[in-house]
Amino acid sequence: MKLSSVQIDAMQELGNIGAAHAATTLSQMLSSTVEMSVPKIKVVDVAQLAEHIGEEPAALVVFELQGEIPHGGYIIFYISRASAVRLTNTMLGLTDPDRSLNEMDESALLEVGNIMASAFLDATAELLGLVMLPSPPSLTIDMAHAAMESLIAQMQEEIDEVMLFSTELMCAEHRIDSDIIMMPESSMLQTFVDRLENLMNPS
Amino acid sequence: MTIGLGSCIGLTLYDRDLRIGAMVHIMLPDSSGRTDRPGKYADTAIPLLISKLVEKGSRRSSLVVKMAGGACMFEYFGNNLNIGERNAERVRAVLAEHNLRLHAEEVGGKAGRTVAFYPDEGGKVTVRSADGAAHEI
Repeated sequence: MKLSSVQIDAMQELGNIGAAHAATTLSQMLSSTVEMSVPKIKVVDVAQLAEHIGEEPAALVVFELQGEIPHGGYIIFYISRASAVRLTNTMLGLTDPDRSLNEMDESALLEVGNIMASAFLDATAELLGLVMLPSPPSLTIDMAHAAMESLIAQMQEEIDEVMLFSTELMCAEHRIDSDIIMMPESSMLQTFVDRLENLMNPS
Repeated sequence: MTIGLGSCIGLTLYDRDLRIGAMVHIMLPDSSGRTDRPGKYADTAIPLLISKLVEKGSRRSSLVVKMAGGACMFEYFGNNLNIGERNAERVRAVLAEHNLRLHAEEVGGKAGRTVAFYPDEGGKVTVRSADGAAHEI
C-alpha cells in the first residue's frame, strides 16, 4: 500500500500523539525528562530488513493490536540491551551497568512496555474513534533482527514490504535510548488512513 | 552470512567435488503459487538452489546440506501456528522430495541465530546466538 504525502503527514501526526503519551508515562516512571524524535515512517522490503535492523542485542516487548480489527499488526517497545539495563537500574535502584538481565528486569521491562503501549494506543484510539487493545505482552531479549523478522513472518497478510512507524524516546539523564514502533497490517493501515481522512475532511 | 534468523531458516548446499555452494534465507514454508520471490519460501527456494548448482555442473550425490534457524521467539499471538517449526518441517519434506539428505541441522528453541557459510573452507557452516561464540554444525 502506497501512501500519499498527505496521508504520511497524517500518520506522522498520529504517531506523534501516541508517542507523546508513551513518552509522558516513561518520563513519570523514570522521574526524569524524556525527549522524543519526530516519528519516522519507513517502508521496508522484507529482504532488506537487515539494513534497518541489525543483530545488536535488544529487548523487545511486543503486543498484537487487537480490538475492532482482530489482528491489526504489532506495537513494539524496542530498547537496546545496554539501555534496558540502565532503564531497569533506574527503576529498581541498582547501579551496575554491566550486569546481565534477570527475571526481575524482565518483569520490569514487560511493565514499562505495557504502560507505554497502552498509553500510545489509548491516545491514538481516542483520536480515531477506534477501539484498539494491546494483547498480553511477549518479551524477547535477543538479536533484534531475528525478533523483527519472526514477527513479520507471522503477520496475517503475506507481504513483501512492511511499514514501520517508529519514534525514538530518549532520556539523557540516564542515557536511555528506546523506540516505540508500530507495524500495522495493511487492513489496519487502511483503517487508519480512512479515519484520518474523515477527521481532516468531515463530510 | 545471514544475520539474525528467528523463525526463518538459513539453508546451505555445498558441492564437495566442485567446492562451490549456495545459501538461502527462507522466511515461510509455502509459496502458494507465488513466483516473484522464490527464495522466500521453502517449496520454491530449494528447487531454485538445486537447479543453480546443477547448472554449474553439480551432481546431487555430492551435495552437503545443512540448515539452521526455525526458532520460536514469541509465544504466538492469535491463532498463528509456530512458523519456525513449520519452516523446518517443510524444508525437510522438500529436501526428501528431491532426494537430498540433510547432513546437519540446528533448529527450534527460542533464541535467534546468525549463520555463516564458508564455501572456500570446505563448506563450513557456523551458528552463533546473541551471547554465544560461533560453533560449527
